[in-house]
Amino acid sequence: MFPYMKTLGNIITEKKEWKSMDVMVLMDSLWTMVGAILVIFMIGGFIMLEAGSTRMKNAGHIAGKTIFTFGLASLVFWAAGYAFIFGGDANFFVGMTDFFYSGEQQGDGLSTPVFFVFQTAFAGIAVTIALGGFAERAKFPVYIIFTILFGLIVYPVVAHWIWGGGWLSEHGKQDFAGSTVVHLTGAMGALAATILLKPRIGKYSKDGSVNNLAGHNQVYTALGVLILWVGWFGFNAGSTVAVADGFFGFVALNTNLAAAAGAVAATIISWLVLGKSDIPTILNGALAGLVAITASCAFVEPWAAVVIGLVAGFIVFYSVKFFDKIKVDDPIYALSVHGAAGIWGTLSTGFFATKELATTGSAGLFYGGGFGQLGVQALGVVTSGLFAFVVSFIILYVTKLVLGGLRVSEEEEIMGLDISEHGSYGYPEQMSAKAGE
Amino acid sequence: MSTLRTYEDIKEWKESEIHQHLSDMKSLNSFHDIVMLKVLDIAIERLDLGKPPCHFCWFIAGSGGRYEQGIVSDQDHGIVFESFSEENEHYFLQLGKEISDGMAIVGYPYCNGMIMSSNPLWCKSLEQWKEQLHMWMEDGSWKSIRNLQIFFDSRCLYGEEEYVRYLKMYIFDYQSKNPYLLQRLIENIKHIKKAINPLGQLIVMNKGEHYGSIDLKYSAFIPYVNAIRVLSIKEGLLKTSTEERMKELAKIDHLTPLMNKSIINFQVLLNYRLSLVKVIDYDDTHFLNVNQLNLAQKKQLKRILKDGQSIHQYVLNMIKKGDDYGV
Repeated sequence: MFPYMKTLGNIITEKKEWKSMDVMVLMDSLWTMVGAILVIFMIGGFIMLEAGSTRMKNAGHIAGKTIFTFGLASLVFWAAGYAFIFGGDANFFVGMTDFFYSGEQQGDGLSTPVFFVFQTAFAGIAVTIALGGFAERAKFPVYIIFTILFGLIVYPVVAHWIWGGGWLSEHGKQDFAGSTVVHLTGAMGALAATILLKPRIGKYSKDGSVNNLAGHNQVYTALGVLILWVGWFGFNAGSTVAVADGFFGFVALNTNLAAAAGAVAATIISWLVLGKSDIPTILNGALAGLVAITASCAFVEPWAAVVIGLVAGFIVFYSVKFFDKIKVDDPIYALSVHGAAGIWGTLSTGFFATKELATTGSAGLFYGGGFGQLGVQALGVVTSGLFAFVVSFIILYVTKLVLGGLRVSEEEEIMGLDISEHGSYGYPEQMSAKAGE
Repeated sequence: MSTLRTYEDIKEWKESEIHQHLSDMKSLNSFHDIVMLKVLDIAIERLDLGKPPCHFCWFIAGSGGRYEQGIVSDQDHGIVFESFSEENEHYFLQLGKEISDGMAIVGYPYCNGMIMSSNPLWCKSLEQWKEQLHMWMEDGSWKSIRNLQIFFDSRCLYGEEEYVRYLKMYIFDYQSKNPYLLQRLIENIKHIKKAINPLGQLIVMNKGEHYGSIDLKYSAFIPYVNAIRVLSIKEGLLKTSTEERMKELAKIDHLTPLMNKSIINFQVLLNYRLSLVKVIDYDDTHFLNVNQLNLAQKKQLKRILKDGQSIHQYVLNMIKKGDDYGV
């Protein structure tokens, strides 16, 4: 009569069994849970990053929708996302068992519910990155539709291909914590959105010149970056999902070095080119380093992590300039930070992966592995990126037709989404005073 | 009435008289016209720069231009003067400032959007006005198109009526050569406030001083006013009141039933505003507390709100598709 009661019973029995379980399995589960919490806390980093990088009139909207979409994405992941990625009876695209995950333990190792929560966090981060490309102009219903469909038919497919035993994992694709799966996939969603949404009002003048729509709080943005940086230890080091040999410490070391190098490289390049060190570029540099090392953190040596971070810092600076130039308005630099750096990070293992560390795939070009691994990485980037872009584009294109446009009206965009979409301001005192203009 | 020598005198007189003009919008708006013309008289007198140096037209825009001012409304006005010279410009800007200050004293709050004769943007020679309108239409930015729509509702209150007519003819002329302008116009008016939820209930303010009220301006009037204005630009109508515009539009075969229905709806709305809205200051004149409505009135209001949204949507779709009323 109550099928779930049986399941609960199973869990209780399993819990009893755990007492006698291998202490290493419990430690692994605990460590992975810590990782899951850190990654979920990254949502807080994205709130600060996105709100700080945009204007006051949209701050409440950004904060609230990010919490909402993480909630929605979690439900979608529970209902089908997890099943599509890790379920059995898989077809070319997705697995087909474990819908509405019951909480049951699978196998003797790591706690499956912990693994599930950990994976939920990753799916949530991917959609949050994609939604960053919608900033300051999309209608609220678009966020809802995209979160559901991205969580059903975009993210799970790429994740299944690479992490769920799909065709790319069979090729030995190296993506330890998700440069491709999470960051590039998210960025491709953001790219489809920025193209279809078109630039924000005032971003480009009629003569084609680019205007700076400055974010309203660099301190928020910086704090957001720091929260992400800390959360990334859960993302990368947590992706060991095991504590044996303390290998997670090595992954954490590489992660920190790449972030550091990214920040320093971005500072230097902006200082050289612009004459002044540019704060948004510095912040992007740290994030680009983190995104880039995400694929390779377990496969490369520390010196290589520094190089990967440095290159990411340079790439992100020029990538931002490039997107400005081709008139793709990317308010929070999602395309450059997660897209360009995600591609570089994925390719980087093809150069730097060492024979000893390459537990998946093989050694990179600089370690005598030839072009084989680089080719696999490139194939992964192209197919995953293309799939994520095309499907996201189709989702948004159809949404546009159904809703009669993705964007709020011009008047609503000018008054800000806080008031137009939600009826109250993130900064009530300041904005009510300004609204009187 | 000849004893009205200061703005304060006018204010006092206005406040004692206005209650006799609340029976209908025409009467109320004619009364506002008289009050504003008195302000102009005193403004010219007080300016101490002598008689106006050339012909000019002082026009009012916004709700005043449309004969839809409530009991209290903020000021929206501008000046077109005959020809440019530095002295002329100086004179009329000074006059504009005097008028604005005077109107504020009399009880028409300053316009937040700076649509006042004291603002150089709204005080120009005929030729400059024409250039400015051209620039607004070419530029097509949100602000420019918004200004264009505000100007299009203006009517001459004092002076050379011909100037405003000439400028509007220029808009029609431009529009007929550049039908794309209509697309920009509808982009500009897309936003309306939803007033009925999917459960069919009125959406009222759930906090603050307007608790329990609906915002008539944004949820009821604006959809009608904006949709009808765009059709009027399309059809080259010079009338400024929404009701008059609808009557003209009703002469077009395919619009007749829609317009006839809308005219009645709009009149009911205007009456609601006049009779049921409690006025404390300018902000209040648009808020209607739905608790004072009986069941039949609520039902009627809901229907009018729905009709407003559908005429708004009809105009948006029709212009977007570029068809001529589906002919």
